[in-house]
Amino acid sequence: MTTSLISVKDLTIRFQTDEGLITAVENVSFDIAPGEVLGLVGESGSGKSVTAKSLMQLNGGNTEYDPASRITLNTPERGTVEVLNLRRERDMEVIRGGAISMIFQEPMASFAPAITVGKQMVEQLMIHTDMSKAQAEDLSIEMLDRVGIPDARKRFGQYAFEFSGGMRQRAMIAMALSTKPRLLIADEPTTALDVTIQAQVIDLMKDLVDEFGMGILFITHDLGVIAQTADQVAVMYLGKLVETGTVRQVINTPSHPYTQGLLDALPKLSDLDAPLTPVPGDIPSPLNRPKGCVFHTRCSKAIPGRCQTEVPRYTRRADGHDVACHLVEEGALEGAAQ
Amino acid sequence: MSNTPVITAKNLITRYTIGHGLLTKKAHLNAVDDISLTIEKGSFFGLVGESGSGKTTLGRSLLRAAPISDGEVIYQDDEVRYDLRTLGKDELKDYRKRAQLIFQDPYAALSPRMTVRDIIAEPLEVMGLTKSREETDARVREIAAKCRLNLEHLRRFPHAFSGGQRQRISIARALVSDPKFIVADESVAALDVSIQADVLNLLKTIQKDFGISFLFISHDLSVVAHVCDHVAVMYLGRLVETAPTRALFSRPRHPYTSALLSAIPSLDPDDTNTAEKLEGEIPSPTNPPSGCKFHTRCRFARDTCKAEVPKLRELAPDHFVSCHFAEEFDFTREVAPAAAPAPA
Amino acid sequence: MAETTGPQGGLIDVEDDKERRAKEAYFTASQSQLIWARFKKNRTAMVSASVLIFLILVGIFASFLSPYDPSIAGRDEEYTNGAPQIPRFCDEAGCSMRPFIYGVKRERSLATNFRWVTTIDTEDRRYVQWFVQGWEYRFLGIPLSVHLFGVDEGKIHLFGTDDTGKDIFSRTLHAIYTSLAVGTLGVLISFVMALVIGGIAGYFGGWIDGVIQMITDAIRTVPAIPLFMALAAFLPPEMSSEARFFFISIILGLIGWPTLARRVRTHLLVERNQEYVLAAQLCGASPPHIIRRHLLPSFTSYIIVDLVISFPYMVLSETALSFIGLGLKDPVNSLGVMLQNTTSADVLLNYQWYFIPVIFFIALVMAFVYVGDGLRDAADPYAGTKK
Repeated sequence: MTTSLISVKDLTIRFQTDEGLITAVENVSFDIAPGEVLGLVGESGSGKSVTAKSLMQLNGGNTEYDPASRITLNTPERGTVEVLNLRRERDMEVIRGGAISMIFQEPMASFAPAITVGKQMVEQLMIHTDMSKAQAEDLSIEMLDRVGIPDARKRFGQYAFEFSGGMRQRAMIAMALSTKPRLLIADEPTTALDVTIQAQVIDLMKDLVDEFGMGILFITHDLGVIAQTADQVAVMYLGKLVETGTVRQVINTPSHPYTQGLLDALPKLSDLDAPLTPVPGDIPSPLNRPKGCVFHTRCSKAIPGRCQTEVPRYTRRADGHDVACHLVEEGALEGAAQ
Repeated sequence: MSNTPVITAKNLITRYTIGHGLLTKKAHLNAVDDISLTIEKGSFFGLVGESGSGKTTLGRSLLRAAPISDGEVIYQDDEVRYDLRTLGKDELKDYRKRAQLIFQDPYAALSPRMTVRDIIAEPLEVMGLTKSREETDARVREIAAKCRLNLEHLRRFPHAFSGGQRQRISIARALVSDPKFIVADESVAALDVSIQADVLNLLKTIQKDFGISFLFISHDLSVVAHVCDHVAVMYLGRLVETAPTRALFSRPRHPYTSALLSAIPSLDPDDTNTAEKLEGEIPSPTNPPSGCKFHTRCRFARDTCKAEVPKLRELAPDHFVSCHFAEEFDFTREVAPAAAPAPA
Repeated sequence: MAETTGPQGGLIDVEDDKERRAKEAYFTASQSQLIWARFKKNRTAMVSASVLIFLILVGIFASFLSPYDPSIAGRDEEYTNGAPQIPRFCDEAGCSMRPFIYGVKRERSLATNFRWVTTIDTEDRRYVQWFVQGWEYRFLGIPLSVHLFGVDEGKIHLFGTDDTGKDIFSRTLHAIYTSLAVGTLGVLISFVMALVIGGIAGYFGGWIDGVIQMITDAIRTVPAIPLFMALAAFLPPEMSSEARFFFISIILGLIGWPTLARRVRTHLLVERNQEYVLAAQLCGASPPHIIRRHLLPSFTSYIIVDLVISFPYMVLSETALSFIGLGLKDPVNSLGVMLQNTTSADVLLNYQWYFIPVIFFIALVMAFVYVGDGLRDAADPYAGTKK
């Protein structure tokens, strides 16, 4: 990738907690190009949200970034910015609500309950751009209309609680996109929605990528949603990327036992007789991070003695398809996906 | 499968009064509106619908945890036959033993102040099913083992467990009184995919081993497709379609069912069928549309749909649809095993 | 997030036995144990708790710790408005293992403009003695006369004396006791009322709840100060100090219950709708079983917290009442009375040691508030485990 929009290198994030130092994210690297959607998949507690928040430095005060971690943002307007080097609140404005916007699972939380949706959008625009109030209003209504909110002018003057769940999610997308960000972080944006509404929101986001040409970091636990939205996929387990590749590589030829396990556990409409095979055991507590390969405690194919002690390196299976697994390294897992 | 019904509902209505303040006008809302269904003994009956469709209320009405305002619900097993609407106090107590509920949120459903042993034992103690502490302990251990709980963990409190383990505790608790009918309300919705399969498999095993009939409520059609043998689809308090799973998924007869199915994101990145996506959102149940409640979002709606309420009709054996024009549609879908994406 | 997970297969061999036992202890910890574990981590709350326990003990053993009768009977006629006497070990004449204070001489003459002037006589050392016999008091009904300390001749006044020569140190200790006692009694009265009234409102809900809430709100709108003034006017002036004391406690209790009742009701309404309560109902549990087994345990921790938090308000109210002269009165020793004594300009200019009880008052209230806060934060051990 020649011109990546954002480049994350060796990102390691630790949290200082009462129980001790917790490693939430370890040696994570990925790039997102303009107009590209990177799907970050993982279960709860895998560190996907922590990774996303680090791009905007939104993690709490007890966060420690490893000195070797690099997050480089590269936009035409602002040139190259080292996100982790930004210290002062004033400098952060470059990333927060400027070049990067974020949408969340629960849209209600990102709207102030006592301010109308329109007013909030206008305020945000006036802070981050040099628009006049009238321009900001026009753009806000246009954006609301663009995301498929009927009667946008009337909705502009309403409060978030007057919106239904799907409408709120659309309004949040409109607000996030109104500042014309280069990168959009979508943290489980469809998880709280019904499937019919989810389909609408996914379509909307696809259209918007085409129209605005921005990069998207799409976080979800739903592989079906990933298959329908992402170009690139990164699978995360206990803070590590275990497999990365294009969406077809990862979904069609999963190579890490964890990715395979996730796919096997997923009920598929196309094959009602396929047995559902759970990934054995539970995700270990981050306080209790397994040594060696983080997945070895739940891996049925773990090599005794090796996976428990040795951290696997990335093996390139195909162009752009990297897997961190000893089995793949040894060639023992060729095309093992069912 | 035997054909004896466990639950037979006829024209069941659950009505709530909303706005009972001094100055607000009273209004009624039928959360469950004129539903008739039969759950056969030993079956795994799926109930799907979007949020606000009334599926949770229906599940609770069948347990007498929500009122039965009108209609008739009969529960029947080898020993007893109850008319749930006119259940006496002692009968209700007995029915509680025979019908149980598994909740969605494995965090809220377990009292944080009781040990796992006490949580599982509570129904036994409350219903007086065991006579001594030893007997209770033995029963708890037996059920816990069935639900693949580590017996050494019985002394622990719920905070020590992850979501999947908690859900197994909930299941053990529901099973301990030896029920014949269990309502599982979104019981895997809060779980991660890798754990979800484990709990689903456990539920299936229980259904087979104990011959328990399940009402499995879920918004996730792919889960329902995999575990249920019979599916009912709800929209705004009404049944729009009910059929054996395979029939429903291979040839849905109602436009809503078909739209629901095509809204599920396909695992195949190349399959980008967006033709059938539903527009708009589910209307408010306090002000439901006239006629067929789905007509506001239906792309086939005609004038008849706005005026007349469609009846549930049997279109194929055991396949009921409530749509005026169901015969005209062909939504046949490919669900054969061969259609799975072929891995390299 | 699945924060806590049982030891998994591969991990067991790596974990040593000790670690595993520690984990098992956490997993099998009951709610009160978890609260305590979290409370221990809160340093402010732990320091406050130590201060609080110290003050309570001081209050309980006030008679033993104070060298003199705090009432007029124990006054030192030779040393009125006397400055605090701080025991020392060394002076120019050399050191002593036993702490001592200096004797004082008082004089009033033409030279002093007919005011009493106290001079310290550094030649006259008075040594501190331990476990001395002194004035008689009763502790748990047993008449005793032993006190922690005293001096071999004359009297010792660590915090000085007031205008009648009463020992401020002894008065302060007894005041702590009185204020705590009034607070406890007041809290108990309001607590019982709150539990009954709030419990009825919360458990039954519906129109009963509505009516009770209306009454509660009506009582909450009664302004406190005019009510106190009316009640004070109603109190016969010849009322004994003990009767006055009980009366004040009862008033405080009757004023304090609505806030607590509202909290009890809210807890009940929240807990009543928890899924595990529905689960219990669905297995046929009767209301008494649900109240006993689920509802009461679910809010005992909150109630304890509420009690601790409302305590300083009781102490404050008592102090405020006494301060404006409507509550307890001199010679009764309460923190409010002591506070009232600091109001004259003379005290501010010349006798600043009158303010020493104020320090204890602030320490007591702050200790209560911080312990209450710490308990409240610790009382929900599950806050962090939910997603």
